[in-house]
Amino acid sequence: MPTRREVVAALAEAVGPANVMWRPEDLAVYEFDGTIERSTPHAVALPANAAETAAVVRACNRLGVPVTPRGAGTGLSGGSVPARRGVVISTARMRSILEIDPVDRIAIVEPGVPNLDLSKAAAPYGLFYAPDPSSQQACTIGGNVAENAGGPHCLALGVTQNHVLGIEVVTASGELTWLGGRVPDALGFDLRGAFIGSEGTLGIATKVIVRLVPSPASVITLLAVFDSVQQASETVSAIISAGMIPAAMEMMDRLCLQAAEAGFQCGYPPDAGAVLLVELDGLPDIIDGQAATVRAECLERGAKEVRLASGQREREMLWKGRKGAIPALGRLAPNYYILDGVVPRSKLVEVMETVSTVSERFDIPIANVFHAGDGNLHPLVLFDERTPGAKSRVLEAGGEIMRACVDAGGALSGEHGIGAEKRMFMPWLYNETDIENMARLRTVFGNTGDFNPCKLLPTGTGCGEMAHQAAAIAAAGPDAYV
Amino acid sequence: MASDSPLWPLLSEAPTAEDLARCVHCGLCLSSCPTYIVTGLEVESPRGRIHMAKLVNEGRSELTPAIQQHWELCLQCRACEAVCPSGVPYGRIQEHARAQLDHAAPKQRGQRRVRKFLLRNVIARPRVLAAAMAPARWYANSFARRLARRSGLLRGRLGAMESQLPRNVGRPYRPANTASPSAAATDETSSGVLFTGCVMGELFGNVHRATERVYARAGIDLRATPGQGCCGALHAHDGDLEFARKLARKNIAALETTTGPIVVNSAGCGAAMKEYGDLLSGDPKWASRAAAFAVRVKDSSELLNDFPGGSFEGRVAYQDACHLAHAQRIREQPRTLLGTLAGCSLVETPGADVCCGAAGIYSLVQSEMSGVLRQRKADQFAAARPDVVVTANPGCHLQYEAAVRQAGIPARVMHLMEVLDEAASSNSQQQD
Ligand SMILES: Cc1cc2nc3c(=O)[nH]c(=O)nc-3n(C[C@H](O)[C@H](O)[C@H](O)COP(=O)(O)OP(=O)(O)OC[C@H]3O[C@@H](n4cnc5c(N)ncnc54)[C@H](O)[C@@H]3O)c2cc1C
Ligand code: SF4
Ligand code: SF4
Repeated sequence: MPTRREVVAALAEAVGPANVMWRPEDLAVYEFDGTIERSTPHAVALPANAAETAAVVRACNRLGVPVTPRGAGTGLSGGSVPARRGVVISTARMRSILEIDPVDRIAIVEPGVPNLDLSKAAAPYGLFYAPDPSSQQACTIGGNVAENAGGPHCLALGVTQNHVLGIEVVTASGELTWLGGRVPDALGFDLRGAFIGSEGTLGIATKVIVRLVPSPASVITLLAVFDSVQQASETVSAIISAGMIPAAMEMMDRLCLQAAEAGFQCGYPPDAGAVLLVELDGLPDIIDGQAATVRAECLERGAKEVRLASGQREREMLWKGRKGAIPALGRLAPNYYILDGVVPRSKLVEVMETVSTVSERFDIPIANVFHAGDGNLHPLVLFDERTPGAKSRVLEAGGEIMRACVDAGGALSGEHGIGAEKRMFMPWLYNETDIENMARLRTVFGNTGDFNPCKLLPTGTGCGEMAHQAAAIAAAGPDAYV
Repeated sequence: MASDSPLWPLLSEAPTAEDLARCVHCGLCLSSCPTYIVTGLEVESPRGRIHMAKLVNEGRSELTPAIQQHWELCLQCRACEAVCPSGVPYGRIQEHARAQLDHAAPKQRGQRRVRKFLLRNVIARPRVLAAAMAPARWYANSFARRLARRSGLLRGRLGAMESQLPRNVGRPYRPANTASPSAAATDETSSGVLFTGCVMGELFGNVHRATERVYARAGIDLRATPGQGCCGALHAHDGDLEFARKLARKNIAALETTTGPIVVNSAGCGAAMKEYGDLLSGDPKWASRAAAFAVRVKDSSELLNDFPGGSFEGRVAYQDACHLAHAQRIREQPRTLLGTLAGCSLVETPGADVCCGAAGIYSLVQSEMSGVLRQRKADQFAAARPDVVVTANPGCHLQYEAAVRQAGIPARVMHLMEVLDEAASSNSQQQD
């Protein structure tokens, strides 16, 4: 292992001394993302462009130091936490929107551009960037690509995978290459597709070409208030069965409503058991009819009230609360462990029941806010990490919920990625061959195990610092689930 | 290194573990933070600065020169606090972090001591301040200024300070100067107190007079009750909490016998005074008096439902003062008031609610970052070409004077109250 001095010197050569951080108290600020994972890097480098990024990667490879890419650090699976220390490469200096082409309806951006900034820049052309993670004000396009991020409005429009045409990448071996391009390309292997969702294990995106879509002609937002999560869950399937795909369909339970209302005074009924936030967009005549159907379905399943947002402002407030709901839970507890399971819509009611049983059995509050239309759950286990033993119990409870999702025929992650937190659960879904093939794909991009180590795949050594998932595995049941 | 116990130099004024635990490090505040926007460094972000406080609180790090540097680059604009879903009281955390630096800064102690002395003995003392401001006031309106400008002597920091001086400085406005309260107005809905402040009264007497006239038109008689003084915001932001409390007690004592709202036209003062309850919460004798005082404090844009309006021709760019938009969460009222004026076309410039870099004494002590933020405003102004830039805080006012000059546009910089005053008087002239 080279000394920190050697690492810093090599990085300084690549990006200039002003763009390297090395003081311990500075590095500590890069030890986390939005999760409870922690690990401090040896150094942080902030390249200004693709060439500098390549130089950093090559320097690290030469010295044998692990590398971890980082966007805004809003990730919810520990992806940008440098598991085996090493060097964090931050994209925060690559923040230009290089081009917006309203005719071809594409934009070319640098990876550090915050998601919402892109939509704001496209707005004057009547366009926007569709994937809208709730963290969109801060999270970066590069981070979105790496996590294949979704968002409330991905129900109808699709996730990041459907909106990225091309990516300029510095591969794990330090080479600069383009995957995809300005136009959709159907020939050959879809390496662009392989890169999206690779969680920073294949390389670093240094430019991204995205599709922009026209802003909808009109929008209706409804808030349906229910007594229970069960009623709301049943309504979700009913609405879809009624033959429509709303632009968005989100659920929040009582704890989330209380936290969000405290944070934003957005007009949620804090005494409700659950609400559904449903958005319809399209031509006014059509969505008026759809709104009537949604209302009827809600009322039929016991909604106490179905409220129609009366204007732009009310709409914005309803969404503001939803988008801030997760961190708003910080008002109720200092920490949360967030899960991201996906279940078939038909199993929504059943799995939500399991979530509440787990909460009772462990005597730990679990809040729920999620993309109901996609069956993408986000149970949030609330705790205080300063309480001895709390973290391991929370991970255990989380493990049981994950298991329930998988048992219901679902998946481990809908949008936050596997990262460090859930990689130990991968064998529940994939057999050895599957995992081996994925590991082989990594090597194609030059990743010998040091490029964002201890993420995504359950293989790798020296991941001790972040290995507390092991406890959860042990508790949730033995061996592989294939 | 880790000791588990806090490593604060002054434990009694330390940020509390409870406040710090509120931050769930989600990162949503990053993109709202001016210093993160400029540098891209997480050490210059809200989450980073909070985490450094956690490090010290958990005994993982001493209060090092690096931490001091990152905290001191914070504008205390509280944009992060306004967007934080978890309700992290960032302003309070940062004031207590500064209190540590005030007590035992790892570096630049001399500079801090001088600053503390000036804040205590000039800003907070009306007579000394008046004497100190006199030359500036004379100069701002003088022929000498035009000469100096042409001479090319105004370079560097001196030039930056010079360019901030308003074009026209009116007579000062001091509580003792005003006529005794009018006998008629005594009930709570039709009268109130005008808060005069420190620099505001010296350099922006015109704004106070405009505020009085605007409120008179809205049927509220404002009086500048004597005995009031500097609000203490600058002291608290610099970590001199002890002195800030002293000033707070003085204002409370002076004004608690009055009735009606306490109307403040300086966003920074208003924000600080609305938080007197918090500032004095640890003082059993004063806590409840401070809380009672705080609820009476209103920004000057808050009570003008009955303002009759008027006409004001031109393109107006309203710029949110941080301590109005982020600390007091007042964004709509000023825009609504401007929107009612005939002929007034509001232009929203991008980043209207991003700090201009004035930030109290920040423009003097962190002139580089302040300059970058001022330049961003200048660029916005150059693109939008407003006729008038409107603000609601003295520090911002000075900074915008400079930004407008940098932009090379002939725009006037005005306080919201001055705009309303001018609009209303043009109206009454027409009616005459
Ligand atoms: C309150 C809150 C709400 C959220 N809501 C949603 C949601 O609705 N939907 C959703 O999908 N996610 C959501 N997230 C999760 C998170 O915001 C997304 O995963 C986002 O895409 C991460 O972006 P980032 O820039 O913060 O990346 P980081 O957290 O910095 O990194 C995430 C991963 O991407 C890699 N990476 C970053 N930049 C690059 C690059 N240029 N090239 C290659 N790899 C890179 C990192 O190595 C890491 O593995 C939410 C997070 C929070 C805190
Ligand atoms: S201050 Fe608030 S918004 Fe910022 S990271 Fe902490 S909890 Fe999130
Ligand atoms: S107060 Fe302003 S400058 Fe300081 S951390 Fe918050 S947003 Fe950034």
